[in-house]
Amino acid sequence: MATIALNNLTFTYPQAVAPTLQHVSLTFTSGHFTLLTGPSGTGKSTLLKLMTGLLPLDDPAAIQYDQVNLSAIDQTDRAAKVAMLFQNPNQQFAMDTVENELVFALENRQVDPTQMAARITAALDFVGISALRQRKLLHLSGGEKQKVALAVIVAMDSDVILLDEPFASVDPTARASLLRRLVQLRDKAGKTIILADHDLTDYQALVDDVVKVTPARNIVPVTVAQRPALFQAFEQRVSTTTTWPQPTSGQPAFKLHQLALTQGQHQLLQPTDLTLFQQHVTLITGPNGSGKSTFFEALVRLHAYQGRISYAGQDIQRLKRRAYARQVALLFQDAETQFLNITVQEELAQSQKHAAGTYFTTARIQQALAQLNLAGRDEQVIYTLSEGQKKKLQILLMLIMQPPVLLMDEPLKGLDLASINALVQLLQTTLAATQQTLVIISHQLTGLTPLIDYHLHFDQQQLRYQGVPHES
Amino acid sequence: MKWAKSWTLSDVILIALIGIFFGAIFMGTNYLYDVLTAALTPFGLAGLANELLLGIWCMPGMLAGYMLRLKGSATLGELLAAVVEMFFGGQWGAATLISGVLQGFGSELGYIITRYKHYDWLGLTASALTTTIVTFGWDLAKNGYLKLQLWLLVLYLVVRFISMFVFGGVLTRLITDLLDRSHVLKSTHTN
Amino acid sequence: MNPSLKLLLLLLIALEISFTTIVSLNIALVLLAALYLLLKGTKFKTLGWLLIVPLLPAIGLWSTQYINGSGDKTLMAWVLFTRIYAFVFTGATFTLTTNILQLADALEQNWHLPSKFAYGVLAAYNLVPKIQHEVQIIRAAGLMRGQQLSFWSPQLYFKAILVSINWSQNLAQAMASHGYVEDAPRTHYRQVRLRLRDWLILGLGLSCLQLGVFVIPWR
Repeated sequence: MATIALNNLTFTYPQAVAPTLQHVSLTFTSGHFTLLTGPSGTGKSTLLKLMTGLLPLDDPAAIQYDQVNLSAIDQTDRAAKVAMLFQNPNQQFAMDTVENELVFALENRQVDPTQMAARITAALDFVGISALRQRKLLHLSGGEKQKVALAVIVAMDSDVILLDEPFASVDPTARASLLRRLVQLRDKAGKTIILADHDLTDYQALVDDVVKVTPARNIVPVTVAQRPALFQAFEQRVSTTTTWPQPTSGQPAFKLHQLALTQGQHQLLQPTDLTLFQQHVTLITGPNGSGKSTFFEALVRLHAYQGRISYAGQDIQRLKRRAYARQVALLFQDAETQFLNITVQEELAQSQKHAAGTYFTTARIQQALAQLNLAGRDEQVIYTLSEGQKKKLQILLMLIMQPPVLLMDEPLKGLDLASINALVQLLQTTLAATQQTLVIISHQLTGLTPLIDYHLHFDQQQLRYQGVPHES
Repeated sequence: MKWAKSWTLSDVILIALIGIFFGAIFMGTNYLYDVLTAALTPFGLAGLANELLLGIWCMPGMLAGYMLRLKGSATLGELLAAVVEMFFGGQWGAATLISGVLQGFGSELGYIITRYKHYDWLGLTASALTTTIVTFGWDLAKNGYLKLQLWLLVLYLVVRFISMFVFGGVLTRLITDLLDRSHVLKSTHTN
Repeated sequence: MNPSLKLLLLLLIALEISFTTIVSLNIALVLLAALYLLLKGTKFKTLGWLLIVPLLPAIGLWSTQYINGSGDKTLMAWVLFTRIYAFVFTGATFTLTTNILQLADALEQNWHLPSKFAYGVLAAYNLVPKIQHEVQIIRAAGLMRGQQLSFWSPQLYFKAILVSINWSQNLAQAMASHGYVEDAPRTHYRQVRLRLRDWLILGLGLSCLQLGVFVIPWR
């Protein structure tokens, strides 16, 4: 049981220009399930980390649990008060197996070793993953890892459970199961739950409170009356009434022959025959954790697969890596993966130097920079750009490279609507001139639809074209 | 264990990760080692392959010493890399650990004699030199270098220093220059 | 046997044989180690692999002494050849029967190694497969920007360090959230004992080694 008060909380990262959070005064009610929402990269993670005590506070009284300053709670007791479930399931465990991770947490809590086995059994049972007890964490799916992370928190019996975008790589079934457990933890055990998510699906009926990050980096409650509008606006952003035709014929870019994908022991894709077409834009949608990104990794030979993938008539395994990378490039989900240098100017120069085509002249690059609101930042260190600026720069760098095929994994993630519109416009003018092939994975559909020719849906181990079959 | 106090958990994880990352990169040089060794064996110069590439294997320690600037970081950086190597596909067993400690301590010695004040070319050169001397001393016994003819011994020593200087000195400096310019390290190390 | 003492014994053996020139001792160590491994259920295939892997470096060391040695070239050639195998086989008695977690537990519980070192290294070690994949990603991302990243490219290491910094912070925060506090007392579920028996085996092992080095007149 704990009521959490934020008192005029302001936080600025060292070396950052602007504060990430500003003058936040808010109370989280004990025993409530609160949804914390707002676009990606607006300080939700930062708030949760501050509330867990993972980032230092200037004003110790800015965060209080039951009128006690967080910093005054002894470090060894904090985990009993508050624990966090992180966005990236791959970097939240210290140990090799599920059981060992729970043991690690209980040892930290100085639990008597004779009681551990029973507590672990109970926690795993509660989350419904007893069968995973001896499994290696490395071999679990994203959803299973998050269930283990929740089991750790259950075993530690923390009063307040913070979850930071916990479902980013979790499939819908696992997500529903996790949400059910959270509601149970609130109703049966009186836990306080605060969950940050930019995806609002399913929450309306579950949560007690909703708070959102404002453009001024404050956090304010969303009243009951305002909520329907909020949830509705989200629905519109991720759904589309547009349907695209099924492809009939055309030049194939990729041909998949009995392609099957697995992740550890999980089948992601059943053997599939499929063609992706040149000089078109294909959209891939599908729930989290279905295997969309893994499919892209297979296409660029970063993930093993069964069956055959051919590009321009040749088995991609027989192509030289270097030559193939100039034909088919991947826009990684994490922008930093794509960077090689230090300043914006160096990155632009590198792309221009190695570009496969000549469309992006220096003048066109300057124009694109202006269009994307990135002009005048030539000397800026890329690692000091905001997440949105990094994303836009990353996309521009890959467009300048002008590979015949560009695979884009969630290119709109974390971008505001103005940036999305500018970007789609840039893509349209570029594609009209370069005739490149684009394959785009995206959850966000607003603004993107005018670009799309075909639509693939990846779900339930199937990858299929959607839309009306062509009449011939 | 006073020195241990200045280490944070994230420092330990960081240098262990760097050691593993570098190890994963070096694995790609194993073929080079094999080819060189095979080619040089008929002339009784197989050790030259080792001498040429040894600087690469000493990089985690030299880089950790230069980058983290904590007492013991070079030793620990190399030792942790060796521990992981021992368990993960390393076939040399306990000898890996001994080499790891000596390589790391060798690199540390350069900073000790420059009093942990010279994070510049002087410190780097001193570190390359002490790494060379300490590891060479060990190889006099372990690899039987003591029984080699003098000209070969001198050749090995010179080649080893060049390798240490190129990989542990020049390359380390180029890497850390990139890190300095990117501003990522400072912002992380104040946490 | 207690993992920490086992490692200590093997370290001392490796140290001592580095300073001896007794071929038969090296061979005896290889045979003993192989016998121990077989008793522990190691497959013949694995043993065969242990014979093949060091062959090239062993021949390299052999030929170096045989061609460019001074003094008793043949003896030194064979000493070094067999010494490599002694390293590999005695080392395997540790790495094939003990995992890093057992060693970490022993060092933490028996030798009071600060837990941040034990768990910091474990956390990193458990990411080894992810790290190997990440190196591939860094290389592929480089190629897609027209840049080949080789082992001499500073950018390759720079990118690896950036990822390491990021992951190390994530891991440290996750561990803190799982109740880990540096230098705070912890309980231990997997108890590792340091028994008199372990010390006796260590003493016995070292005594036998001294017999082999100084008393038994092999060559």
